[in-house]
Amino acid sequence: MIGMFKRMRPAIILFVIIAALTPMIIGQPFWLDNSILVAIFSLMALSVGMAYGQAGILSVATAAFASIGAFATSIVTTQYGLSPLIGLLLAIALPMIVGYPMARAITRLSPMPLSIATLLLSMVLEVAIREGGDFTGGYIGLSGVPRLWFASSVEGMHVLSWAVVLIVLVLYINLTHSVIGRAVKTARHDPLRATADGVDVPRLLASYFALSAAVAGVAGWLYAHHLTYMGPDSLTIHVSIKTMLMTVIGGAQTFLGPIVGAAFLTLINLYLPASEAQGMIFGGMLVFVLLVAPRGMLGTDWLKLFSRRSKRNVPVSVKPERRAA
Amino acid sequence: MFELMEFVVRGALLGVIYGLLAFPISLVFATTGSVDLAVGAYTVLAVAIAWSIGGGWGIVIAIAAAVLASAVVGLISMRLNRPGMFDHITAVLGTFGLATFLESFILTVYGKDPMARQVFETFWDVLGIRISPQALINVVICLLLLAGLYLLLYRTPFGRAMRASAINPLGASLNGIPVKTIWFCTYLVGGFLAGVAGVLVLYTTGADYSTGLSLTISGFGAAIIFGMNSPLRGFAGGLVTGLVQALSSGYLPGGWVTAAPMIFIFIVLALGPMNRISATGGRV
Repeated sequence: MIGMFKRMRPAIILFVIIAALTPMIIGQPFWLDNSILVAIFSLMALSVGMAYGQAGILSVATAAFASIGAFATSIVTTQYGLSPLIGLLLAIALPMIVGYPMARAITRLSPMPLSIATLLLSMVLEVAIREGGDFTGGYIGLSGVPRLWFASSVEGMHVLSWAVVLIVLVLYINLTHSVIGRAVKTARHDPLRATADGVDVPRLLASYFALSAAVAGVAGWLYAHHLTYMGPDSLTIHVSIKTMLMTVIGGAQTFLGPIVGAAFLTLINLYLPASEAQGMIFGGMLVFVLLVAPRGMLGTDWLKLFSRRSKRNVPVSVKPERRAA
Repeated sequence: MFELMEFVVRGALLGVIYGLLAFPISLVFATTGSVDLAVGAYTVLAVAIAWSIGGGWGIVIAIAAAVLASAVVGLISMRLNRPGMFDHITAVLGTFGLATFLESFILTVYGKDPMARQVFETFWDVLGIRISPQALINVVICLLLLAGLYLLLYRTPFGRAMRASAINPLGASLNGIPVKTIWFCTYLVGGFLAGVAGVLVLYTTGADYSTGLSLTISGFGAAIIFGMNSPLRGFAGGLVTGLVQALSSGYLPGGWVTAAPMIFIFIVLALGPMNRISATGGRV
């Protein structure tokens, strides 16, 4: 029981923080709105954390999966008048259906080609959305996506979206500590060893990737019902790089890191000029963080970083150190 | 049938540029094991600078800027790829961040307008197909560069050192080859090629700020079709990629023109030589 509490510490911390913040921002639409956005981006960042932090798959298709989820729910609710819950089911299932075969076709080896494949997927999807005509709303997009009847107010949406984040976080922690989570970690660091341990590496990584896609799909579901509009410019590849930055800043391998990164970047975004220069800031920041603290805010052992005495762990395959000319 | 011929010729002419772009990607992959996603961004940078300055000096400055950008990327990638880092893929993410940076930089400084230049007003009529003299210039420059690269790689001590550090970095460094310097030079050569490709793109099809990623993808596709090791194969891959692009723009409707080549590259990725190393054995 104690071990359970220790393990779930990140989820408990998040719950306490949200419980403490909620009374402070109730009745302030501006902050509630931002809080919902942070929750949605947290989900996407958790998806990146799963794929990149745990499995070592660099996916730039997070926003693409989210937009599959968002468009699925927008189309069923606006065009067929079905319940958003059916939309939720589709938002979970469709990204998995797209993600699994894609990963299966590619992850027979290193994650490198898969990252290129995710780039291709997001570009193809953007084209498909634009060319979808009335079905996807084409260039105009789909407006009038209904709000959720069980969370119609902003407060309700705030509670709902953070509840979803908490549920996903608890499941994610559980999964990471399970046999599957350990197998994923092994497969990431040494596929040969994982195979020797009896793990079907390609299937495992593909399933894990599909799962992370489903988390992004849920984020897209919330996104569509929160903003009540989905268009071709809503969840583009730039959103992907933003979520990637959130995850890396917070710490891709930690549980709370992606959420911290999402909150941090969303708050910073409020004070940035919304213009073309944003890509420079995000791109530059991403490189800077990778250079200075590649494990992110929560993943870096700051004390160790500042006391230079402790030796970094160096793997065996080191090339002899040479002075750069 | 005649129409088909025209598309084939167009595609081949487009493909030589992708062949140029394929080389830096495969070279960087072979030597450092990571993919440089910023190659397309150097190209667009060169396009933008050559477009805004113009003339002979514009071309020189454009290529220099591309080399400079690649030097920055090279330094950063080597820092991210250093031993003790927990992942290879971090370097790829780093180049992706830089590609985003450059794209936004070009958008901020040069705006959204497409950048293109036409030098020649006249067209040659070859068997009924209209060909701009520019196409000939492109082909000649690409072939010359290719020949130069071939000589550099296979006929000079520098090229031997380069190949050695790609195949066996540890052995190369034990033999006194400055592996890290060679790696850095790899990035510089890549930047130079991307810069030249950028100038050619400016005078052929033109580009705007957002073309970078799709150029990278096309170059990557060209690089993987026949294997990542030889510049000649990359060049042939470039021809094929250009062909697919030209054919899809000829026969497919609307927006699928941009999507079809990507689907093609995906198929190559799934079936091609890169995917043949199994997840279990090949420690890529």
